[in-house]
Amino acid sequence: MASQAKGSVEVSAKTVEEAIQRGLSELGLTRDQVEIEVVNPGRGGVLGIGAEDAQVRVSALPVEPSVEMESPRVEAEGEPPVSQPEPLESEGDVAKVAAELLQGLLDRMKVRARVKARMGDDLAEEGEEPVLILDVTGDDLGILIGRRGETLRALQYMTRLMLSKKLERWEMVIVDVESYRVRRRRSLRQLAVRMAERVAFSQQRVVLEAMPAHERRIIHIALRDHSQVATTSIGEGDRRKVTIVPK
Amino acid sequence: MCTTKELIELIAKSLVNEPDAVIVREVHGASATIFELSVAPDDKGRVIGKGGRVANSMRTLLRVAAAKERKRVTLEIM
Repeated sequence: MASQAKGSVEVSAKTVEEAIQRGLSELGLTRDQVEIEVVNPGRGGVLGIGAEDAQVRVSALPVEPSVEMESPRVEAEGEPPVSQPEPLESEGDVAKVAAELLQGLLDRMKVRARVKARMGDDLAEEGEEPVLILDVTGDDLGILIGRRGETLRALQYMTRLMLSKKLERWEMVIVDVESYRVRRRRSLRQLAVRMAERVAFSQQRVVLEAMPAHERRIIHIALRDHSQVATTSIGEGDRRKVTIVPK
Repeated sequence: MCTTKELIELIAKSLVNEPDAVIVREVHGASATIFELSVAPDDKGRVIGKGGRVANSMRTLLRVAAAKERKRVTLEIM
């Protein structure tokens, strides 16, 4: 396979945000193109005593290189990567193409559902740009979500791959089914707050169940400014779990 | 069963550089159906993906289509 890993970097800085920015500039990627793992959220310490730098791991998402393979390989030899051409399509066109691709998948999966595209920020963290969201609605769509959202993840991954191939550039798009992601996000934040209270009260660490990267990220971000607890992740791959520890 | 085949064809043709080389064969067994996907040699990585991620996503979506017909399906990339 021609796609090679752009790799990942581990960066330390005073704050998580600063570390992420550094990691992004090191890889030359934007936030949409990476997976961010907070290794250590760091701490301010008291009067500088016990202060710890925040540490994050920024990894290129696997879909990105396969889109880049599109650039003419022969010309690219030995030359610096050519910057992507300006988008030819307007935001509305991209939304339309994306919605049609997803609808095409659903039709052939024999799932009767409607797809609506919108720009939204309810699935982004505070301060992040609104992104293209494809909302799938219909009757009895649990089959499209799957166990712990597994089918939904596959559906989103495939939509992104097909869209990126068609546009010949990476395009951020989120696929949601019956507002599953919106609901899941809300319950993860509530879980984070509840568990943080427990950890602060008991001074005992709590290990959450294994979650995919974007779900762990919701927990890390929900608690990043918490005064009494810090978060890290333990385990590898599918078994990676957020751990909430007392500060 | 033909739309399941179409699903594989749609995905494969959307991801490869040589859509004309995409061939999907259906092999019917007693309880399961095997789909054999073949693509141009240079495109193989595009339908398998790093660590088989693309192929596994295809299988996940395939299962949704098959579940509607209470059939077991497998996808093999030739």
